[in-house]
Amino acid sequence: MSLDDPDGELVRRVGEGDVHAIEALVARKLPRMTALAQRLLGDQAEAEDVVQDLFVRVWKSAAAWRPGAAKFDTWMHRVAYNLCTDRLRKRREVPLPESWDAPDPQPLADAGISAEQQSDAVGRALAALAPRQREAIVLTYYQELPNREAAALMGIGVDALESLLARGRRALKARLEERDE
Amino acid sequence: MSDIMDFARFETLVAAYGATPSRWPEEQRAAAEAFARTDPRAAALLGEADAIDALLFAHRVAEPSRTLRAMVLESAPRRRRLTGRARLWWSSLAFALAAAGGVLAGSAATAALDPVTANMQLYQHDDVPAYDDVSEENAQ
Repeated sequence: MSLDDPDGELVRRVGEGDVHAIEALVARKLPRMTALAQRLLGDQAEAEDVVQDLFVRVWKSAAAWRPGAAKFDTWMHRVAYNLCTDRLRKRREVPLPESWDAPDPQPLADAGISAEQQSDAVGRALAALAPRQREAIVLTYYQELPNREAAALMGIGVDALESLLARGRRALKARLEERDE
Repeated sequence: MSDIMDFARFETLVAAYGATPSRWPEEQRAAAEAFARTDPRAAALLGEADAIDALLFAHRVAEPSRTLRAMVLESAPRRRRLTGRARLWWSSLAFALAAAGGVLAGSAATAALDPVTANMQLYQHDDVPAYDDVSEENAQ
């Protein structure tokens, strides 16, 4: 099955070593993939390591890339997702510091709260979600993957994805409301 | 996942995908939007979901740093885009190699001939006067 891949032509040129195509692909994908890794890992330095690793794989695969069943963006998400989940798995073997889950001292509903503080509070709430719930929310809301793609990436069905999304959203809301009380 | 758009399915859909129709599964979007327009219970569900959407989208992540971008670009195996100085250097090198190749080829071809044959081939053309040909001097 051949898909109309919006990145297909660009990837073909990247495979030929075209400098302009390489720069265009980096401009198009680097922010998107960095955001994915940052939200899944909650750590900027680790996210940057993952993104570098991801692009090394992109350069190796571009020359051999053939339009097929998957879009290039979906393939990049799969590689990045796997790199992140590998790191998360290893991280679970190392105990987290006691303060990692400390409540935000600033209530979210405060009139004076800045956008940055609000973003930080949501980031902490996201980080505190169960990993599968966080993955479902990140892929569906922030990466804007269609539900079937997000579910396939996570190795689950659409029903299971919907369940994770609903539970994740409820947990996020409950956690942020806790801070307001 | 049910294909029938009733209150239960609409509630499940909004609980999972939020209040923005563009995020709803494409194959159910039209039916869900129609349900939202006609069922009075839909507005409360959408309002609650919209508040959670707003929380989610308050989250921002840092843009990739210039250093990261530079490292990613550096890792790409690219055809080199030459600067003016580099282009001149490579052109000079190519010219020198071509010239050296020509000299070597000429030397090899000449070395393959014995000296007599080489001289014959060099001087036997009519338009090249031999050094010992006095006829030209006499003609002047």
